[in-house]
Amino acid sequence: MKISKSSKLLLAVAAMLLGSGMSGSSIAQDKDPIVVGYIGSFASDTGLSTIRGAEIAIDELNAAGGVLDGRMIKFVKADTREDVAEGIKAYEYLVESENVDFIISGSIDDVSLGWLPRMAEYKTPTLDTWTSYVGIIDLVVNEYDKYKMYFMNIACDEALATLYIDFGKDVLAKEMGYTSTVLMYEDTAFGVSIAGLVEGLLAPEAGIKISEKIIYDANTVDFAPLFNKAVSSGADFIYLVSSVRSQVPASQYVKLQVPIPMTGVNVAAFGQDFWNDTGGLGAGTSTLSPVPSVGMALDDRSAEFITNYKARYGSERPIYPHFNGFNAYYGIYTAFAAAERAGGFAPLDDWIREMENEDLKLYKDGELWFRYAFWKRGEIEPRTQREYTHNVKFDITPPFDDGSPAMVVVQWYEDGSSAVIYPPKFATGKFQEPSWVK
Amino acid sequence: MLIQILLPGLLLSGLYALIAIGFTMIFSVGRVLNLGYGAFIMFGGYIYYQSAQILGLGKVPSFVIATAAGVLLGLIVYVILIRKLKGDAIAIEISTLIFAIVTQAAIIVVFSPSPKSMWPLIPGVLRVGDVIVTYNLVVAAVTSWVVLAALFLFIGKTHIGRAIRAVSMDPKGAVISGIDPDRINLIIWGLSGGLGAMAGIFLATYTQLAPAMWVAPLIIAVAVVIVGGIGSILGGLVAAHVIGMLETITTTLIAAELRGVATMLLIILVLIIAPKGLFGKAEL
Repeated sequence: MKISKSSKLLLAVAAMLLGSGMSGSSIAQDKDPIVVGYIGSFASDTGLSTIRGAEIAIDELNAAGGVLDGRMIKFVKADTREDVAEGIKAYEYLVESENVDFIISGSIDDVSLGWLPRMAEYKTPTLDTWTSYVGIIDLVVNEYDKYKMYFMNIACDEALATLYIDFGKDVLAKEMGYTSTVLMYEDTAFGVSIAGLVEGLLAPEAGIKISEKIIYDANTVDFAPLFNKAVSSGADFIYLVSSVRSQVPASQYVKLQVPIPMTGVNVAAFGQDFWNDTGGLGAGTSTLSPVPSVGMALDDRSAEFITNYKARYGSERPIYPHFNGFNAYYGIYTAFAAAERAGGFAPLDDWIREMENEDLKLYKDGELWFRYAFWKRGEIEPRTQREYTHNVKFDITPPFDDGSPAMVVVQWYEDGSSAVIYPPKFATGKFQEPSWVK
Repeated sequence: MLIQILLPGLLLSGLYALIAIGFTMIFSVGRVLNLGYGAFIMFGGYIYYQSAQILGLGKVPSFVIATAAGVLLGLIVYVILIRKLKGDAIAIEISTLIFAIVTQAAIIVVFSPSPKSMWPLIPGVLRVGDVIVTYNLVVAAVTSWVVLAALFLFIGKTHIGRAIRAVSMDPKGAVISGIDPDRINLIIWGLSGGLGAMAGIFLATYTQLAPAMWVAPLIIAVAVVIVGGIGSILGGLVAAHVIGMLETITTTLIAAELRGVATMLLIILVLIIAPKGLFGKAEL
């Protein structure tokens, strides 16, 4: 049989196509991708931190040949605009329109609480990287079957507060000799919750008296009358709780050269952009921060993550990921490691079992530095004597050799540098009163 | 305690007067509510920030650049929007509000949504007992009083000022007298843009820069106009001081989170008792 030239060409192309179709990489591309959904804000530094941490991890996994027998990971996103109603819609979109296999969240407390019932209804494996609201963990503890697909890889606020009491006792009371404070906090769920913990735990346990309580509207931009009121109370220091526009009280504290020290919780100071955002007027601010924080020494793998982050995003905000950027990066790795052992994200109970067994330990100079594991059902945290099912396996007892610390205290100095000042194992600097404090 | 209220209250009131005056002028002369006025304030703050803090052009040149940019923006808004919608107050109000929202979106694109703190115009603080006020606020208040005095002289003593008054009293009568109301409105919008930008510089250096920062000054301006009396610069000056003091008293003595509520209650009270405001009249 004589084969024409054009038929030969056609056969050659067909053979090439067939050949290429049988190569490993093409097989991976032909398989349905695993879909990971992001839920959270697109505009905030914290939201972007989660997105980028997840993006880097996903790209690394895809570049290494994919997951679950060579399948690629597709990353889709839904914006919550930090609004509860938008958050619920975003969750529905991810599940119903994008058919996600797994959701990684950079949502704030209220937004996570909003979509949580949808998660329970859809039974979608979900990992939160930002909210630390202990009430969500309590839901998992009390209604495990309903909320068992939920994991939180930041230490919950109760664990944060417990370690912060130690800072109050060891540094504020013992080292600095402070005996009284003005509790200044914003009128938000976050502000009221943290202030309640300070009033109920820090003050009595550290022997620090609360001289005055100042509650302010979260939209306040003029803090001069508030600082004047705080100073006139005669307290030794100000305890600020601020999550909304937190750079404003920090910078006005410097502009007004308020003559008493200020510490507390300042969410803006969690990020490396804080110094620029305050125009260099952020000195003196110290804040508790979830880990890994700015100013914190890093293990080799986390340092490599930062190198990749900077190479990829350059000077785009946030120039350094917030803690939840790390949480998202390691969260993707832990979720997929669990999925590999379970054979996928379904059946759900298999993935949950393997996620509960996940234990990613990061060492620095031979010491345990960070740990991404989870409290199991029925497991009791020794210090607080309670359960934290599916919260990250934090350690709130020195020498912190069984998990990451729940938090560290970070301070910004007058030269624009920042350092971890507590607990001592992670400290890279000391608590300092600003130079204008007499 | 008295000094804790009086000193910051007085200085804050001066800043509020500066914020409100440009808004009052447009309403008095053009008979329209410029709901985009807050955008002039925001624009001035951001231009100053870019010039002084990012480009390092110096505080005084940056102040002049930002104020001039505000004048230019006021003129552009008048020529592109207001002149074309002349006579349709509702359309002007809606379009100026949209202008503010668009400006906010543009600011987010250019500068990011994150708020920014600015260096004070004059660094340092004044301490009187336990009370601390920044020199920045002192300068803002003094500038405000100087600007308002200059404005009084300008309107009362100059030819253009008298023409502005004539248009604010009776636009048709002004035309018969040979005054071009369109030209007067153009001047007022430019002036308003410049005053707004200047207020924005002081406000932003005192508080913060943020894409949504146009809303709060607009509320203050509306409150000052309602309480002081529509069309009255003197009324606006008094109202600004009443509101500034009221906010300081509320923050210091009652509860800081009720600061804005006190102003709202005052607006309602004035609307019920004296609908035309404390010094209400029809012209400047």
